[in-house]
Amino acid sequence: MMDTNPGSREVDVAVTINGAQVRERVPARLLLSDFIRDVVGLTGTHVGCEHGYCGACTVIVDGDAIRSCSTLAVQADGSNIRTVEDLADGDQLTPMQQAFHENHAMQCGFCTTGFLMTLESVDSADYQDKERVVELLSGNLCRCTGYQNIVTAVCSVWGVDD
Amino acid sequence: MKPAAFDYYRPTTVEDALAALGTSETAKILAGGQSLIPSMNFRLAQPDLLVDIGGVEGFDRMEVGPEGVMIGASVTQSRVMTSDEVADAVPGLRRALRHVAHLQIRNRGTVCGSLAHADPAAELPAMAIACGATIFIRGPAGERTVDAGDFFLGPFWTDLAHGEIVTGVHFPAESAGTVTLLDELAWRSGDFAITGLAAAVAARDGEATGARLVSFGVSGVASRMTGAEQAVLGFAGGDDGSDLYEAAYGDAADAVDDIHATAEYRREALGALAVRSVRAALAANGNGTGV
Repeated sequence: MMDTNPGSREVDVAVTINGAQVRERVPARLLLSDFIRDVVGLTGTHVGCEHGYCGACTVIVDGDAIRSCSTLAVQADGSNIRTVEDLADGDQLTPMQQAFHENHAMQCGFCTTGFLMTLESVDSADYQDKERVVELLSGNLCRCTGYQNIVTAVCSVWGVDD
Repeated sequence: MKPAAFDYYRPTTVEDALAALGTSETAKILAGGQSLIPSMNFRLAQPDLLVDIGGVEGFDRMEVGPEGVMIGASVTQSRVMTSDEVADAVPGLRRALRHVAHLQIRNRGTVCGSLAHADPAAELPAMAIACGATIFIRGPAGERTVDAGDFFLGPFWTDLAHGEIVTGVHFPAESAGTVTLLDELAWRSGDFAITGLAAAVAARDGEATGARLVSFGVSGVASRMTGAEQAVLGFAGGDDGSDLYEAAYGDAADAVDDIHATAEYRREALGALAVRSVRAALAANGNGTGV
């Protein structure tokens, strides 16, 4: 039997992030969003509500879009993480980024990276009608656009009737 | 905000997880963390020890058989929702999960974690009661099982004692002639329900012959609607539904007033949802299609 608390305040976190290996010793309480921004220095992942509501902090962990503010860095130990910095190849935007640009699917841009990572994580074949696209986008909040231009951008790339 | 400091422990066996929980009065189990971590960010929860069960051997198992679906403690909501085998065995589970938060949260949130958390507005506790699910628990004294109908005691309050772990939940296969479904009213897709209803409706020749109807988001706990369950007997799709509506309205006498809706609004909404859900179940039962 254990007599004393077996846990530790500091933990080793080793991840692959956008193809690079990162290994750091961090506080157990460190959120994955803060690990990405403050430890790794990738500030394209934004922190909005910090309680899993707004979706600005969405990143892809082992293929799945998740809220990095509602995940501890230590829970991502051993995983493969992708952030918005992994999308464009230099100045060459992805088709979705280009469509956001062309359709004015952003104003302030704060929420944009979260939207892009949600969209990057799914197979567009599963979202071939507008209602499904809107349902998918409902997990990310945007306070500027009223969503219409975002829906238009997505539908244009995925070949969905808008 | 950020979580207060805590110690972190990731056991690989249920025995070690139980032993660790026994060392602290305020230890919490971390599964998907989709309710716990936001609570910790707000400092509403300040456990001194987190026992992460994500690596416990066997907790990631999900088994579908003729008897139903067994879902282990670390199985995510997305994994259950995207399984066609699960949808065939317990169609209501996928229907319920579509209403649970958003894709990004379902990708980490677990079915068992939602049951143990027991948010009064959550879908899965109500669906577990409607389906007659069984909850498997391990504690220092060994293993026990509890019917979902006896598990939920109040807001964020279950039959679980400190030091115990929900190790899995079993949803029985939907029997022929029964339809399980879930419907809810929420201001936005993915939000917690203002009023919701989970239902298992048995029917023959277009008439309901029995039902388990469970409200959620109405009072402090997911609750069987005993009046509406009586009113449903003999209900046919063409009936005007006023008796069922009144019975469901009466079942919600303890509906809460809050910023999202008044108690009266919730009672009326539950009446409407009851009629709509039972009609949908009868229609699905009649033509063998989904809801």
